[in-house]
Amino acid sequence: MSDDPMRVPRARHGRAPDVFRPGGWVPMQQYREDEEVDFVIVGTGAGGGTLACRLAEAGFSVVAMDAGPYWRPLEDFASDETEQTKLYWTDERIVDGENPLQLGSNNSGKSVGGSTVHFAMVSLRFRPEWFKARSKLGYGADWPIDWQEMWHYYDEVEQALKISGPVRYPWGPKRPRYPYRPHEVNAAGLVLAKGAEAMGIAWAPTPLATVSAPRDLSPPCVYRGFCTIGCSTNAKQSALITWLPRALAAAAEIRDLAMVGRVAVSDAGRAIGVEYHREGRWRFQRARNVVVAGYAIETPRLLLNSATARYPEGLANSSGLVGKNLMAQANQAVWGVMEDEIRSYKGPPSLAITEHWNYEDRGKDFFGGYAYMSQGPLPTLWANTEASGRGLWGQPLMTEMEKYNHQVGLKIVGEMMPQERNRVTLADEKDDLGLPIARVTYSWCDNDRRLIAHSLRFMGQALEAAGARDIWRQEDDTCHLNGTARMGDDPRSSVVDADCRSWDIRNLWICDGSVFPTVGGVNPSLTIQAIACRTADRIRTLAARGEL
Amino acid sequence: MRERIVGVTPTGAAVLGGLALVGLAALLLARRGAVAETGRRLASAAPKLLEREPVAPPRELGPRPVSEQPALRAGRRLNRASGVLAVSVLLDSAVEHYRGSFNNKAMISPLVSSALSIAASLHGVADQRVAAHRARDAVYSVAGLSGFVGTAFHLYNISKRPGGFSWLNLFYAAPIGAPMALTLSGMLGFLAERVRENDPRETPLVLGFPAGRAVAALAGAGILGTVGEVGLLHFRGSFQNPAMFLPVTVPPAAAALLGCCAIRRDRAPRRLTRWWLRATALLGIAGVGFHAWGVGRAMGGWRNWSQNLLNGPPLPAPPSFTGLSLAGLAALRLMEEHADA
Amino acid sequence: MPERYPGYDVLAKRHTPSWNEQTRRVIDARLALPREPRFLSEDEFSTLVAVGARIVPQPNDRPPIPVAALVDHKLVKDHGDGYRHAALPPLRDAWRRGLRALDQEARDAHKQPFHRLDAAAQDALLKAAQEGRLKGPAWQSMPSALFFSHRLVRDIVLAYYSHPTAWNEIGFGGPASPRGYVRMGFNRRDPWEAAEAREGDEASARRENQRVR
Repeated sequence: MSDDPMRVPRARHGRAPDVFRPGGWVPMQQYREDEEVDFVIVGTGAGGGTLACRLAEAGFSVVAMDAGPYWRPLEDFASDETEQTKLYWTDERIVDGENPLQLGSNNSGKSVGGSTVHFAMVSLRFRPEWFKARSKLGYGADWPIDWQEMWHYYDEVEQALKISGPVRYPWGPKRPRYPYRPHEVNAAGLVLAKGAEAMGIAWAPTPLATVSAPRDLSPPCVYRGFCTIGCSTNAKQSALITWLPRALAAAAEIRDLAMVGRVAVSDAGRAIGVEYHREGRWRFQRARNVVVAGYAIETPRLLLNSATARYPEGLANSSGLVGKNLMAQANQAVWGVMEDEIRSYKGPPSLAITEHWNYEDRGKDFFGGYAYMSQGPLPTLWANTEASGRGLWGQPLMTEMEKYNHQVGLKIVGEMMPQERNRVTLADEKDDLGLPIARVTYSWCDNDRRLIAHSLRFMGQALEAAGARDIWRQEDDTCHLNGTARMGDDPRSSVVDADCRSWDIRNLWICDGSVFPTVGGVNPSLTIQAIACRTADRIRTLAARGEL
Repeated sequence: MRERIVGVTPTGAAVLGGLALVGLAALLLARRGAVAETGRRLASAAPKLLEREPVAPPRELGPRPVSEQPALRAGRRLNRASGVLAVSVLLDSAVEHYRGSFNNKAMISPLVSSALSIAASLHGVADQRVAAHRARDAVYSVAGLSGFVGTAFHLYNISKRPGGFSWLNLFYAAPIGAPMALTLSGMLGFLAERVRENDPRETPLVLGFPAGRAVAALAGAGILGTVGEVGLLHFRGSFQNPAMFLPVTVPPAAAALLGCCAIRRDRAPRRLTRWWLRATALLGIAGVGFHAWGVGRAMGGWRNWSQNLLNGPPLPAPPSFTGLSLAGLAALRLMEEHADA
Repeated sequence: MPERYPGYDVLAKRHTPSWNEQTRRVIDARLALPREPRFLSEDEFSTLVAVGARIVPQPNDRPPIPVAALVDHKLVKDHGDGYRHAALPPLRDAWRRGLRALDQEARDAHKQPFHRLDAAAQDALLKAAQEGRLKGPAWQSMPSALFFSHRLVRDIVLAYYSHPTAWNEIGFGGPASPRGYVRMGFNRRDPWEAAEAREGDEASARRENQRVR
């Protein structure tokens, strides 16, 4: 490819890349900037990409913008960790607080398709009680959505992505069979299984958004193991190869390398469009509705950066909560060495899972839950874990690294509590476009610490029971981001309502992980996509009633 | 509540294998008082098997040449059917056991056994003598037994993994039904010898049972067993292509029709059955084509053969239907040519 | 240390289905990187070379991985991680300051630049940095512990293990597209993966590895 997708936009001149055919194109409807489209969506990931598809299919005119490049996975993705850092958000952000977060590859993508281009494809439903965490379980906040409604939308997303999962899922209420069968579990996953059996808990092959059999133009997974740095097989069902091609076919426009700097509001206080930077200059797209879907850091950053005289604290911020209640998820791990060869670099990184501690409430001295999964880190990630995470360097590091093919690990996705002090604010520093960058402040609370301690103890026992030795704990790691524009049923304590519509500006919507009031003990992608599907249905209903 | 159906130890696996053998025998025993009679027939057949020379009573055969003896033709057809099935077994077990890195030395045995069965079958197809052949009998018997031993190994392989008899292990551990294809090949060959050694003036029998019906039962059971295996693996593939439903719909119909012919001697739907069996035989060949297309459309296509021939749809598997259908057609012929066969 | 995967070379698979065109381009570019610094000064580079030799010591019976050049290249491109600790300056400034500070600490303690010290002295200084005990004015309020874990060790190991020679060392399968892996169970390897030398039997592993393709 002679073009550089990181420098020159690909989606223009009436066409967008065909991600399934090398060098191919699909026709793309284009809208004029001075044409007031129904929806402009900022971000094309799990929230924005899904919503763009569903709104376009419902007949609305949609322009979806993404700061990231429009990748062609078959041609652009190399089997190299260093090269593939191009998938992550590598523009500067500041992290502080008592437990500063690690961003970048952990949770921040910058691509058309968002973080779903690099995510680990783990596709889990919320435990139903979590939607009423405060009333039913005594912590956090209630969601203003009923779990049974979400169940219906989970069905839709699982079907849309042809999730490959076990024939029977051991946890949660009755659910339809996963559309595709589970993947083979590699040795690393079998270590989790043995440990789980020894501890007397259930385990399962992880439901994954990568196909175990052919699906349209996607071949089945080849178990190359580079999932989190970009699937060059196109087996991974990212938004880039699922929702977005559908959106394009339904006459949506996608603009890549389009960084939105500001949501513009009229004097009357309604959103009228977005200012965005593309091909070297600032532009403006008019829209009847603006959807912000930049995930939990860029969304509040944009809302805060869009402050006006009328909204000096940023848009949709009468509650003061924009940027607050940032929740990551605990991502601690235990690691060990086996006599057997494991070679965990083969296959998706998390092929086996147990959600036991998401559904078991006895024996816990903390609120919330966690799942844990097997792991398969690639070399530089593993080296950094041993070096920065374990403090090894010199010959001890080299000696440990030589045991690479015998390494095993168990890693949690653990629920962290919403705390207002964990927040995204604007730093004084500015980026290359002159926009203030984000400062991300994070500190654990006691509940977080107790959950982490419980998980490390339990996983350590499980790993030992499975036959690993030289077990050590990786105490500091987090993943995912949520909560900075939470939904609720009261404008004083939330930013958006159950329809993801902001209370303050009725044509400003937020559709990404920022809207989660609580984060649960499962990876958020399936829930974000389900919320987007629900939001699209609600928008259709509201539009039909003239309430848009 | 894990994915676990039942746990099995190696002893248990052997017991299950033995039960399967008994069950299969029971299927063939279609008459009352059959047990005692079977015993007597086996006892009288045994000396023939132990004799040095092939037992070919040199009788006056009448105006028809030896090669047109119906029993002999049927026997040779069964040799062919056994051979076709053995080819599928040889290639399939070779690929799959290579994938398993021949981790257990015993994994070479189905390759050896099926290769010998192919040789025996070629020999049998060419052999115009109205007599069983001791060496072929031995090869076929060993094949028949090997399949049972293989099944025991495979059951052990499935059961020892975490989760035991879970869907995951049925999908990805040693395939549960595959070794029985070797047994079926051996048994078809064994029946080939029993059929061909019949006196051409009498109703052909195998071990005292009407030959046509016995072969029909074996072929039908074999087809149904293969359908089970295909069903499991196409279920694993989520039936993502509508053509994947063909091998679980067409062959069962053929087996049902064959059974119908065996049970209803008059007004049996023979012509329909013949066409269904032919269709099933062709499906076995078409299946190779479908699977080749599947290999080609996997990531990297044929260039990535070192992965796709192993991970992709198995090329040598579908012709097992062809072998079994040929056996079914031979049974049909036997039943047509002799009212009591 | 005897080689664990004797004779294994991921580069032998360059023209197999395990590598694709874009991967070859990327790895070729990395292998062709100039060994001289293009961002750091000569002095800073000397310090970095010496630090690299302590953080990721290499055997001298093979061509070395140019760790310092790879880190320098990262500084040329100025590719950050997408976040930085509030107490750390941006990537380039952090490295410049940290290398100069380390060198200053060496001169203060031993009257020699860092790269002239013996290994034990270098290790002692690095340990002190890791433990946050280096607080000379050259650090300018950048905590040495934070620089050590978030920049120094991180960027150096990321550089080292981005090189095919390091992949050979640890028996990593290397690039894998379009061909991935078939055998994922315990103690199973595909013929295109590294064979591990068993105790006292290096020769058969070497033979296996020479057949890897």
